[in-house]
Amino acid sequence: MKKEALSRRDALKFGALGAGLAVFGASNAFAAAPLEKDVKFDEEYDVIVIGTGFAGLAAAAKAAQRGNTVLIVEKMGRIGGNSAINGGAFAVPNNPDQKKHGIEDSAERFIADSLKAGLGINHVELLEVIAARAIDAFEFSRECGAEYKLGDKPSWFGGHSVPRTLVTSDMTGAGIIKPMTEFVEKLPRCKIYRRTKFDDFVLDAGGRVVGIMARTNYRFDSKLFSDDLENTTGEKKVYKAKKGVVLASGGFSADRIYRKLQNPQIPDNSDTTNHAGATAGAMLKAFQIGAFPVQVDWIQEGPWASPDERGFGVGPQLNQQGLFKYGIVVDVRNGKRFMNELADRKTRADAQYKILKEAPEAFPVALGTYNTFDKQILPLVEKGLATGVMKKYNTLDELAADRKIPVAALKESVAKFNEGVKKGVDEFGKPVASFNGECIDMKGPFYSTRTAPKPHHTMGGVKINTKAQVISALTNKPIPGLFAAGEVTGGTHGASRLGSCAVTDCLTFGMIAGENI
Amino acid sequence: MSGGKTLAIAGVFLVLGVMSLIGGESDSPLKPIVITPELKEEFPLKSHHAKLSFECTFCHVGQGDDPKEFTYIGDEGCLSCHQSKEHMAERLAFMDKLHVNPHNSIHDGPTLYCDECHNEHKPSTNMCTECHEHDIDLWMRPTP
Ligand SMILES: Cc1cc2nc3c(=O)[nH]c(=O)nc-3n(C[C@H](O)[C@H](O)[C@H](O)COP(=O)(O)OP(=O)(O)OC[C@H]3O[C@@H](n4cnc5c(N)ncnc54)[C@H](O)[C@@H]3O)c2cc1C
Repeated sequence: MKKEALSRRDALKFGALGAGLAVFGASNAFAAAPLEKDVKFDEEYDVIVIGTGFAGLAAAAKAAQRGNTVLIVEKMGRIGGNSAINGGAFAVPNNPDQKKHGIEDSAERFIADSLKAGLGINHVELLEVIAARAIDAFEFSRECGAEYKLGDKPSWFGGHSVPRTLVTSDMTGAGIIKPMTEFVEKLPRCKIYRRTKFDDFVLDAGGRVVGIMARTNYRFDSKLFSDDLENTTGEKKVYKAKKGVVLASGGFSADRIYRKLQNPQIPDNSDTTNHAGATAGAMLKAFQIGAFPVQVDWIQEGPWASPDERGFGVGPQLNQQGLFKYGIVVDVRNGKRFMNELADRKTRADAQYKILKEAPEAFPVALGTYNTFDKQILPLVEKGLATGVMKKYNTLDELAADRKIPVAALKESVAKFNEGVKKGVDEFGKPVASFNGECIDMKGPFYSTRTAPKPHHTMGGVKINTKAQVISALTNKPIPGLFAAGEVTGGTHGASRLGSCAVTDCLTFGMIAGENI
Repeated sequence: MSGGKTLAIAGVFLVLGVMSLIGGESDSPLKPIVITPELKEEFPLKSHHAKLSFECTFCHVGQGDDPKEFTYIGDEGCLSCHQSKEHMAERLAFMDKLHVNPHNSIHDGPTLYCDECHNEHKPSTNMCTECHEHDIDLWMRPTP
């Protein structure tokens, strides 16, 4: 155990890691992880799952149902990571509600939609699996006790060519996480250790993953710049996994170091829509034992987020289903529009960053009138106003004065946009022809928010095959004993994931990992 | 004070009593802890706990007599008085209607660790504010 007592940080400091690698040579890159012969296992299970989100719980539930003993480790005090705060929107191609309402859908259609948003760099074989098994994942979640709003026409999410999204009854991913947690905990010899952090894989002499190093009584500390690198809390434990380990540690949108390495535009102090524990550490351990990295620098940012509230908040809906459509977004410095407010997430976030790089506090302002808001979010309008994330003004002059925008230029931008809508042509290519002349209503009142891109979903991760096995860069074959599912895997969604497809991806591949391990 | 805690405290006295009977078994008998102004400043109590004149060992049961050595009492410690998470959720059940009961939240149910939000010797924090920074004021008072 001496070797493990040396923290990764110390190892780097003393160059011990480098020396170790040099001694073993390139053929033995997994020497970076502790070996079975050097550790003493504290507990023993058939399967160990890292993370309690959709992917981890689905994997555990399936594996446990097949009679395996399962341990799930979760570093946070709370169960469910991003899945617990998720919006509960689940894209299910060929679902019964589509059939009921005569909506024609198909696996091919789902894949075509995903490829379009993903700019064609998606790993199609993974999309095929999701398209084929989404319905199984949906049914499995119901078997575990999840409840959905069923019977109505499914929701139609941006980028999908047909309505295919089902929503949980309580409109949060917790509607799946809570029953699945109970389901898992009720199965014999299956348990969840919270505040238990996975630190490292344990390998046998042949490079097979046979267990994990972890720390119990771990206290995540969001005040640290990097919890993964700096936090030394907890007691070291070694757990054996006789059949294998499932990595389901989620994305890294909250990881200040790793997200900035991938996209230097993201400031250290940038907020994220994700839970604080969404860091890269566990994924990096998989890279360290040879897992292929895939498209790690495609970080999806929400251009609809607000700098006036933490996390996801109410801004995204007020903008997405509101101000961004019949309204506009302007650069506060000159009152001018600078993007198609309905372009894909990346195009918009990049346009915002162009401004924020020049003037970090010049958060672009969105504005619109009452006709801007979709019916279903009308209740949120009051909330937005009450919390100050959105403000209401009687005139454009008031708005310009309060938001510190040159008023003449702002009025000109509004007039120009409105003319464009009437003509059916927009200078930034917004699809205004479909608006039937509906635009910013000059009689007001005017509503406005400040906008800021926030890291939302990390598209990249470890490479898996259709059986959720992690592929090694050393052999181009599965790393024996290692499976992965969910946001920690890469390639499935390519450049940009369509809304509501993460639930589908995480549950489907979680299930598959649990079936194959 | 609830039965659980009374029992626990009675238990401590019982153990101490037995130890003094058999003598020599314990390293040293527990000294009563004098709560000095410095100690009060270093380890302030929540006002409602202070009002009840809590002594250190009410919570730090069986942790000796040196406050500097005391460790975190965990959920079990809190619940020895506060009964159960379900009980705490029940007490705020009127908030369930708007799905804002922090002890039975829509995201977590009655499963959170107590110290996710509540601290004794330092100010508490409300975990809900991580995502609901402003709207929290619409539904909840400051976390005790
Ligand atoms: C606010 C928000 C709303 C969203 N809404 C939707 C939506 O409506 N529909 C949709 O399809 N997608 C949505 N998404 C995206 C989706 O929720 C996520 O992609 C998905 O939840 C990821 O699931 P996962 O199981 O891969 O990871 P997570 O649910 O994030 O779970 C990973 C878990 O692993 C834990 N972990 C990490 N490292 C370690 C370690 N070293 N040791 C132990 N544990 C570790 C984490 O703490 C976490 O609990 C939303 C995302 C956010 C942030």
